[in-house]
Amino acid sequence: MFTKSHKTFRFDSIVKSKHTETAITVCVREMVKSATTKDDAHALFHSLRSAYSATPTNLKIIDLYVVFAVFTALIQVVYMAIVGSFPFNSFLSGVLSCVGTAVLAVCLRIQVNKENKEFKDLPPERAFADFVLCNLVLHLVIMNFLG
Amino acid sequence: MRGLFTKIHICLTSQSSKSQHCSVPIQTSRTLKMAKISIATVFIALISLLLTLTHSFSTENPTDRRILVLLDDLALKSSHSIFFNSLQSRGFELDFKLSDDPKIALQRYGQYLYDGLILFSPTTERFGGSLDVAAVLDFVDSGKDLIVAADASASDLIRSIAAECGVDFDEDPSAVVIDHGSYAVSGTEGDHTLIAADDFIKSDVLLGSTKIEAPVLFKGIGHSLNPANSLVLKVLSASPSAYSANPKSKLSTPPSLSGSSISLVSVVQARNNARAVFSGSLDLFSNKFFKSPVQKAGSSNKYAKSGNEQFVTELSKWVFHERGHLKAVNVKHHRVGETDEPAIYRINDDLEYSVEIYEWSGSSWEPYVANDVQVQFYMMSPYVLKTMSTDKKGLYHASFKVPDVYGVFQFKVEYQRLGYTSLSLAKQIPVRPFRHNEYERFIPTAFPYYGASFSTMAAFFIFSFVYLYSK
Repeated sequence: MFTKSHKTFRFDSIVKSKHTETAITVCVREMVKSATTKDDAHALFHSLRSAYSATPTNLKIIDLYVVFAVFTALIQVVYMAIVGSFPFNSFLSGVLSCVGTAVLAVCLRIQVNKENKEFKDLPPERAFADFVLCNLVLHLVIMNFLG
Repeated sequence: MRGLFTKIHICLTSQSSKSQHCSVPIQTSRTLKMAKISIATVFIALISLLLTLTHSFSTENPTDRRILVLLDDLALKSSHSIFFNSLQSRGFELDFKLSDDPKIALQRYGQYLYDGLILFSPTTERFGGSLDVAAVLDFVDSGKDLIVAADASASDLIRSIAAECGVDFDEDPSAVVIDHGSYAVSGTEGDHTLIAADDFIKSDVLLGSTKIEAPVLFKGIGHSLNPANSLVLKVLSASPSAYSANPKSKLSTPPSLSGSSISLVSVVQARNNARAVFSGSLDLFSNKFFKSPVQKAGSSNKYAKSGNEQFVTELSKWVFHERGHLKAVNVKHHRVGETDEPAIYRINDDLEYSVEIYEWSGSSWEPYVANDVQVQFYMMSPYVLKTMSTDKKGLYHASFKVPDVYGVFQFKVEYQRLGYTSLSLAKQIPVRPFRHNEYERFIPTAFPYYGASFSTMAAFFIFSFVYLYSK
């Protein structure tokens, strides 16, 4: 009895939350119901995909940019592992530019995301201006350190 | 001449009296002129004498000129006349003195009077004048040359001079070299102390380029050399069947010197390039041995003339610096493509080094040709060691890259070859590292990093446009 009320209590609280989160909990419930893991994986993947497609376009653009930056950083790390770290300052500069701009993009995403209650009062233009300024400083530092 | 002078004297003295008419007025002017010419010739002769006195061993003309010959008795002058005449015909001035002549002096007022010393006085216990072992050794230390001949009854004086130069004669005073295997065959049955030796050192510079065909006759004492000493060389060694013992007494103990370790004639080239020859036999230089035919025991070759004259002549040419004397001049170094010598090099520079080496041929400096002269770029240890190539006219050059280390280096040429004077050149040159603007501007291995940074910048630019202007 106690557990059932606990579950319903949680279900109620979840229902009140955002649309994307509801979809995820729905699929989690479905996961609890089904038995095989492979089906679970497929189901999870599909639900994630469908949930993701529901995100706003500007957030998707930011996500794409982050993926590009991280991918570039990974390529540089693999290259350094092959060739050696001879101009170490150039390596650090290249990796820092990718990682730094990815971090700044993630910050922008957090601040611009309308579902984020913490930054409700922050105008998205201000967030974007911060993003641009920080990126300028970052790239100035990169150019200096690149050698 | 004397008559002319007296006439002039009379004419001049009679001027005051005016009584006597000078009988030869026309001839006076001619005699005056001749007097002037004679005074001039005497003056010129004195100057040239002074010049010839100072014209001796110098760096421009390394062959010795004046040689002091000390003899036991003056009969050696005639019994060794072929040797002395050959020296004199080559331009040497020989000064013969008895070894106990009290007027012997090697130097006067700090200057050496002679360039070479020949000691043909094996039995002398004390030299006359101011000469002693220390004086002879100082003579050699100052760069002058020496020929010492010992014999069967060599005195302690000669033995100690030889010992100081690294040549140890047999300590037994009555021992001579006996060889029952390669003695010289003669009409009478001897005690095999006259040896026919043909074990020469293989060196063209010491013994000349013509091979000595006939064996060399030798009769005297043997000596040994310390094998650790790199400055003494055995020029004529005894055969393996030789030994050093008293021929008149029976051997009670094995001889101390035996076999090929006995050296009959050896040479010393000191570090200051003074040369000395030590021979265990005075008869090696004698006319008798020069002219006699020789046949080695056990071989059927009969030679009409022994190899003594050729051997002694070639060795004397070497000892008195007529052969094998090198000089190195004109050390030059510069960067490839430039001509002037910089005061400092940078690491990884390409540079060229050149030096000219000449050999004295007895009358002039000839280019020295060899393929093993090396130059080192040295700082505590040689960083670069390169064999120099020659253009056969005496110029040796090498080009190499300065190593990747900075510091103060030296261009070193150390050339020591058997029989040749040793060359030891060192020239200091500093090497600096790169200046901060001499490094390569873009490092090729870092191109991916450059590319990544710029692509990130471009991506940021494009992203900001896309983000702002997308719906």
